[in-house]
Amino acid sequence: MSRVRNLTPPCPRVALAIATFALLLGSTLYSFAADPAVQVQFDAKHAGPRVVEDLTERVILRDYRFAWTSMAQALEFNTLDPLEGAFAGDARQWLRDTVVRQQQSSLNQRYANQNHKLEAVFYAPEGDVMELHDTAEYQLQISDGAKVIHDEHVVVHYVVVMTPAADRWVIRQLQAVPQF
Amino acid sequence: MLRLFVICAPAMFLVALSQAQDIRVPASVTAGEEATISMSGSGRASFYLVGPGVSRKSEVTLGEEIHLQAEDLRNAGEYLAVICSGTCRTTSFFVNAAKPHSLTFLVHPSRVPVAQGDAVSGVALPFDQYRNLVLAPETIDFQLTAGAAPLLSRSVRTQGGISWFRTSSGKSAGTLQVTASLNDLSTRRAVQQVASEPCNLRIKGERTATGVVVQTEPVRDCAGNAVPDGTIVSFTATVGSEKSTVDAPIKQDVARAQIVAAGPAVISAASGVVIGNEIRVGARP
Amino acid sequence: MKITLPIILVVLTAGLMAVALYGAGSNPSRIGIATGSAVYGLTPKSSTPQQALANLLVDVQRRNWDRAFDALSKTSAADKESFIQDWLGLNGSLRSFSNLEGFDPRPLHITNDDAQMRVRLHYATPVGPMEDVRDFHLIREGEVWKIVWPKLQLPAVPSEVIPVTYLRWDLVTGGADEQWGSKNVDAPHVRIISMNAVDSAEGAVVIGEVVNEDTIPAFVNVNATLVDGAGNAIDDESSFDKIDHILLPKQVTPYRIDFPSINLNKVKNVRMDVKATLVPASADPVIGVMNQKLDSDVQGKTVLHGDLLNQSGQTVNISHVIASFYDNNGKVVWVSDGYVDRALMPQSSEPFAVEIPRSLSAKVQSFHVVVNQYSLGRS
Repeated sequence: MSRVRNLTPPCPRVALAIATFALLLGSTLYSFAADPAVQVQFDAKHAGPRVVEDLTERVILRDYRFAWTSMAQALEFNTLDPLEGAFAGDARQWLRDTVVRQQQSSLNQRYANQNHKLEAVFYAPEGDVMELHDTAEYQLQISDGAKVIHDEHVVVHYVVVMTPAADRWVIRQLQAVPQF
Repeated sequence: MLRLFVICAPAMFLVALSQAQDIRVPASVTAGEEATISMSGSGRASFYLVGPGVSRKSEVTLGEEIHLQAEDLRNAGEYLAVICSGTCRTTSFFVNAAKPHSLTFLVHPSRVPVAQGDAVSGVALPFDQYRNLVLAPETIDFQLTAGAAPLLSRSVRTQGGISWFRTSSGKSAGTLQVTASLNDLSTRRAVQQVASEPCNLRIKGERTATGVVVQTEPVRDCAGNAVPDGTIVSFTATVGSEKSTVDAPIKQDVARAQIVAAGPAVISAASGVVIGNEIRVGARP
Repeated sequence: MKITLPIILVVLTAGLMAVALYGAGSNPSRIGIATGSAVYGLTPKSSTPQQALANLLVDVQRRNWDRAFDALSKTSAADKESFIQDWLGLNGSLRSFSNLEGFDPRPLHITNDDAQMRVRLHYATPVGPMEDVRDFHLIREGEVWKIVWPKLQLPAVPSEVIPVTYLRWDLVTGGADEQWGSKNVDAPHVRIISMNAVDSAEGAVVIGEVVNEDTIPAFVNVNATLVDGAGNAIDDESSFDKIDHILLPKQVTPYRIDFPSINLNKVKNVRMDVKATLVPASADPVIGVMNQKLDSDVQGKTVLHGDLLNQSGQTVNISHVIASFYDNNGKVVWVSDGYVDRALMPQSSEPFAVEIPRSLSAKVQSFHVVVNQYSLGRS
C-alpha cells in the first residue's frame, strides 16, 4: 500500500513569518557589510612645479580611495589593522590614537557615501611629495554603543600630504580646514 | 483638564529640556591650548568630544562650562562637540596649527654630477610642536654653500604649508651644504657633488714579462674634477682573434690592469658609456 | 594453487633481474646507454668499456670511493685523494655543492685493448642543473676494463702577501629615530642602455645591457612585461641570475629575461623596469677575462671560451660568466651565461665556456664578458 506524504507546511503563517524575517535579516546584513564604494575624482591639472604623470595620477586615485576606505573601516570597527598600509607618519599616529580612544570610550564613527573631489596643488620637482586639497562629502554617523548621537551629511575640506612608499602612495598629513 | 495636563506635561518638559542646550564654542583654537565650551540649560547630560586623535565621553552639568584640556586639542582639524540629554545636539570648531617648531626639509638628490642645470631641489614644510602642518604663510630662507662659496640664497613664502627651490649644481666636486631656515629654526642637508662622466679617457701600456700592464692617465671629467675612486674602467686587449678584458676600479685617480697577451695587442678602454683612446703594444721579444 | 602464484612471481623476478644484468651489456651494437644505474648490490663485471665506465660513475654517484678507485688502472697518475677531490671539488667551488645525477656515455673509439669514451655528466647544483662533458680513456687489464685517470692539475699558488687597496663601500642605515626627510640617500641611478626582444627555441627572450651611472654600487634587477595589442600583460618575468646584480660605478652588465613558451608574434610592446637599491660592495677581487675566442667545442656547439684570471689575493669560490654578443651594428643579439665549477685561486686562472645558439653564431661580430663572483664568508 503506498502512502502519500503531505508536503504542505503545517502552518502557512509561520512560513511567511520565517521568510519575511530572512528577507529583513539579509537586507540588514547586506547594508551592514557592503560599504558603498568611496568615490574619488582627481584633478591634477594645476599641480606644479612637476607635472603629474599619468601613471602617478592613476596610482594616487587608487591609493587615496584605499586610504579612505581603510580609515572608515578602522573608525567604524575600532580596529588598527586597516591603517597599516595606507598611512604614514603623523596621519597614521593620530588615526591610531583616535581608534584607541574610541575603543576606550565605546564610540565609533561611520563614514558612508563618501565622495571626494581631490585636486593636486603641489607636486615636488623630484616627485617625492604631493599636496592635495580634498573637498570631501560624506554621511558622518557617530555612535555611542548602539545609540547614534550624531548623524549628518557633511562637506569637509582637507589638506592632504602624500608621499610615495615602496609600492604605493601613503597619506602623511590629513588636516581638516575651514576653507582652502 | 487634568487629562490635558497629563498629556501635555511630559511634552512640555521635553521641549524645555531641548531648548536649554545652547552650545557656544570658541571661534578658533590653537593646537595645544585649552579651550572652553559653554552651554545653557540645567540638568545632567553626556558630553562627547570627537576629533583627530580624540574620542572622549564624560558626564557634565548643563549650565556649567566644559574645559577642554590642551592635550585633547593637540591635533589640528575639525572637532565635534556633542551634548546629549534626551536628544543630542552637535556643534563643531576648528583647531589650527600653532607656531612653527620644526622644519621638515627634503632635498634631492643625495649625489649630483657637477654643473648640471636644475639638478638640486628642496621642499620645506613647517610643523608646530604637535606635528601639525603650519598652513599660515611663513617665509623660509634657503641657502646653498659649496665650501666657502655661496651658490644660492633665496627667501620663499610658503603656500599651503610648503615652499620649495630648484637650482643648478656647482662646478666643483665636494659637499654642498643646503640649509632651510625659518626665524630661529634651521635644518641642514648635505648633497655630494660628484664628477660627471670621464672626459678624455686616455690610456698607456707597457709590455712586461707576463703580458701588458695598461694604465689610464688621471681620470677626470670635463670640468677637471677627479672621477671618484671605485669607478670601473673596462680595458680590452685584442690579440689576433682573441680578446681579453679586465674591469678595473680607479684607485687614486688611475685605473690599472694586467692583461695576458703574448703577441702584438690593440688595447682600448671604456668607462660606462665613454670610450677612450686605443693603443698598440708590440709582441713580447 | 596457493603456492603456484608465489613461485611464478619469484621466477619472473629472477628472470627480469638476469635480463637487466646481462642482457643490456652484451649487445655490442647498441650506441649510447641510457642513464646508468646498476642494480644496487649487484655490480656487473667490467667486461666492456661501457660497463666499466658505468660502474665507475655509479660508484661516484654513490660516493663509494673505495670501489670507484679500484676501477682505475694501475697506470693512472692520480692517487686516491686527488681522485676524490677531482670529483668532489675543492675550495668551496660549485662542484663541492653539487651531485652527479646522471650520465650519458658515448664511445669515441674502441679496440680490443683500448677505448675512448665521451660522457655527458649531469650535475644537480645550487644554481640549477649543469652539464659537463668529459673524455675517459680505458684500457683492458686481463678480463676487465679499467679507467686511466689523469693527475689532477691544481694551480700552483706561490705564497705571497697581496695588499688589498681597492675601494669598499659600506652602508649605514641610520638610527631608529627617523625624521621625515632626514635620511637623504637616494637609490643608485641605473639605466637600461639597450633592449632587444628575440624569439628562441624555448620562447621569447629579452636581452640588453644596463649601466650604473652613479658613483656608488647598486644592486640591480631588471624586469620585463610583455604586452599584447590590447594593452594586456601577457607575462612578467625577471632577469633572475642572468645579470651581474652588483654593479660598481660605471659598470655595464648584460641581462637576459626568458619567457618560456611565448612567441613574439603575440607581443605588441615590452615594458621594462629596472630596480636599483643601495648595497655594500667591494671593488675587490678583480677578475680578468683572458684569451676569449669564439670556437666550436668537442660536441660541435659554438662556444665563447677563455680563461678567468683572478688578479686578487682571495679565493673566488664560484664564478659566473655572463657574455653579451653583438652584431655588426653593435646591437645585442644574444646573452649567454655559465658557471665555472672550480674555485678561482688567487693569482690563478680557470677556463670557461658559454654556448651561443648555432642560428645566431653567424651574426656575432663581437662580444663582451662580465664575471659575477661569490666568495664564501664575504658579503
